[in-house]
Amino acid sequence: MGKVDLVIKIAGEGGEGVISTGDFIAAACARAGQEVYTIKTFPAEIKGGYAMYQVRTSLDPVFNQGDTFDILCAFNGEAYEVNRQLLRPGVAFVYDYPDGGFEPEIPAGVHAYPIPMSRTAKEMKSYRSKNMVALGALSVLFNINEKTLLEVLVDKFKSKGTEKLNFNLDAFQKGKELAGGLVKTDPWRVADPAKPKDVIIVSGNEGVGLGAILGGLKFYSAYPITPATEIAKFVALHLPKVRGILIQAEDEIASLSQVLGASYAGARAMTATSGPGLSLMGEMLGMASMSETPVLVVDVQRGGPGTGMPTKHEQSDLFLAVFGSHGDAPRIVLAVEDVKDCIHMTVEALNLAELYQTPVILLSDGSLAFSTQTVPAPKLDTIRIVNRKRWDGQGVYQRYQMVADGISPMADPGTPGAMHMATGLEHGPTGAPNYVPGNHEAMHRKRFGKLQSVADFVKPTEVDGEEWADVGIIAWGSTIGVVREAVTRLQADGVKVKGFYPKLMWPMPVAQYESFAKTCGKILVPEVNFQGQLSHFIRSETSLNPIPYTICGGVPFTPIQIMNKVREII
Amino acid sequence: MSISMIGQVALKPKDYKSEVPVVWCPGCGHYGILNGIYRALSEAGIDPSRLMSISGIGCSSRAPYFINSYKMHTLHGRAGAVATGAQLIRPDLTTLVMGGDGDGFSIGGGHMPHLARKNVDLTYVLFDNGIYGLTKGQYSPTSRPEMTAYTTPYGGPEAPMNPLLYMLTYGATYVAQAFAGKPGVCAELIKGALEHRGFAYVNIYSQCPTFNTVDTVEFYRDLVETVPQDHDVTDLGAAISLARRTSEGCAPMGLLYKVERPTLDMQMTAIMDGVGGREDYDLNQIIDANRP
Repeated sequence: MGKVDLVIKIAGEGGEGVISTGDFIAAACARAGQEVYTIKTFPAEIKGGYAMYQVRTSLDPVFNQGDTFDILCAFNGEAYEVNRQLLRPGVAFVYDYPDGGFEPEIPAGVHAYPIPMSRTAKEMKSYRSKNMVALGALSVLFNINEKTLLEVLVDKFKSKGTEKLNFNLDAFQKGKELAGGLVKTDPWRVADPAKPKDVIIVSGNEGVGLGAILGGLKFYSAYPITPATEIAKFVALHLPKVRGILIQAEDEIASLSQVLGASYAGARAMTATSGPGLSLMGEMLGMASMSETPVLVVDVQRGGPGTGMPTKHEQSDLFLAVFGSHGDAPRIVLAVEDVKDCIHMTVEALNLAELYQTPVILLSDGSLAFSTQTVPAPKLDTIRIVNRKRWDGQGVYQRYQMVADGISPMADPGTPGAMHMATGLEHGPTGAPNYVPGNHEAMHRKRFGKLQSVADFVKPTEVDGEEWADVGIIAWGSTIGVVREAVTRLQADGVKVKGFYPKLMWPMPVAQYESFAKTCGKILVPEVNFQGQLSHFIRSETSLNPIPYTICGGVPFTPIQIMNKVREII
Repeated sequence: MSISMIGQVALKPKDYKSEVPVVWCPGCGHYGILNGIYRALSEAGIDPSRLMSISGIGCSSRAPYFINSYKMHTLHGRAGAVATGAQLIRPDLTTLVMGGDGDGFSIGGGHMPHLARKNVDLTYVLFDNGIYGLTKGQYSPTSRPEMTAYTTPYGGPEAPMNPLLYMLTYGATYVAQAFAGKPGVCAELIKGALEHRGFAYVNIYSQCPTFNTVDTVEFYRDLVETVPQDHDVTDLGAAISLARRTSEGCAPMGLLYKVERPTLDMQMTAIMDGVGGREDYDLNQIIDANRP
């Protein structure tokens, strides 16, 4: 980690501009050539409730949200109460005072900066200016690049008219003046601007949407569900530009049904949902497995079961993704680490569905869904598009022809000479129903057998660290980014530790797990679910004996938690 | 709709018949409906390779196996939703959905309103025999209380629904009803549905001699009454009045309603055209829109 690696947390009530304040800071830092990793939590309520936005910024790559914050900006008393235990010596604390409706106790060693945000907003006769006052104060106190910040504000507000723009700039200026009158006692400063990088800044959900469009998507159908809905928002905006179609279906059953129909008709097609929606899609996943129809389902995991904790982070749908259907239903399951993965693995997931004619489930999670990150701008000439195998027009067409690799050519409706039945009934090579015992077994061997080469098609699992390690950490999903930092920091302390970061969750690349284990003493598997779902699969599929480390409090791991656990078991 | 002649020779009804043997019980009304479908496809001049026949699960959902076309045999209740996706990708082909009353209105009941409301350009032929045949005779959403069956040894506890009223209410743009005992009427109404641009619903009464002992051929013959010649098919109120007569013991047979409004695929095309959508759109523009 670089020297200037700063975490700014803004908290307040939903509707007070907490989120937009964080977005402005993140965009200003990104424009000033810094790396940005943000997380945010929304209240489940429509309006009101606790909202939080945390920006981590550094000149070096950042892989996670950080251990805790260096700077807290509290818009109200609840924001202070929720975070007061984290006000450790050295932290800078900016808060709404006086007339903010709360009187915080300032612990020893905490740098306090009272800014009368509410009062100033009241003087300006607009509650909506409160967050701009705070933003102005933060910019002065912590060296947030003013040039890029003003550019961001102008870009944001110019479409809303000069009056609105000037009003917000006035509030920003007032915040600057208020902070200018205080004496800075803390050491925290955002790094000075660097050479701007060739980056985009998107959330995990937007990343999935962008990956889908870059991956040649032509049909998207989904039903609204937190935290996945934002994917549809992105896709709805851009898909028509490439002459693709987005439908909001009546439920998740319909959305995957429509995707299956669109795929049968020849289009690259997908849906996105969260755990409850994936549950509803279970039967149609079996249909896609049986009829060998390419479909992609993105599951942005949230706290479950039931309605669970819809706005909170969890990695608890691995069992559902791998086994969720009836019968023996093959599929490919992938999991993304970060926003960059959201883009590129969505492209790859569409490819895998097309190539293997099977359902692909791509697991994202609640912390990535709304995490905006700077990522290198995708280069079109590096995007690989693989299309399904289509009939060459030779010989007699059989939809489920027995071929060596198990992948029978498809034929789009409208093709002369290739009329066929795609069916959920067990069938012979032509698609005609066939319940002969030997046939069912042969067809299962075809449908499962074709997936044996998946591990060769995707990149091998990344191993982080080269030599023997006392502890090997196997992490998946957004936990990888936390483990990366923990591994680096532990190695710097002389601890022998390494990481193994699977993205292909199923079929499990067993040989890669086995060879990793040969270079480690103990195996630690941290994951954000109660049961230790990946640990369970590691036990059932490999000879490894992992130590599960599970948390499920609705928030991701921090690097320090992983580091402490490694030190505990080593 | 694709109107075509194969090698300039019009296809006859038998040319739409696949080599798969029909598996329904002797005396089943579905044979009459299937014959009506063959005739309608022939008269509409549809190229089999440009037809997508899609079904769910049930006796009638076996129908696509018996038709020469591209076809999907999907899950119970999901035919309409699957067909929606297929139709939107290939609006140049003809989409034909076939299924029963349980498949469409019970397990698939969540999808039916949206096919009608969204005006998905497909033909839905519903084989209405008032019973679940494939599972050996349970009451369905269109069963009459008089029917004693597998799970209704003491008679049915529920009032039947009215499919025509349902479809008219949800905005179907073509609503017709026939009886399997009149394959000619079936053929004419299905042909009209195939040629209609929009969601076309054809309800066809079909006797189940094996399990439904009350809705016999004789019962349906007495029930159906040809739609009056002076009925205005663009008058929703008049169509609803006709549909409501079913509860009075006489069901309308014929075309009740037919209007034009933009279909879902037309709306989608308008959106794509509106944003200047192109297959070769410069994706860098979408990437660049996300720079900080």
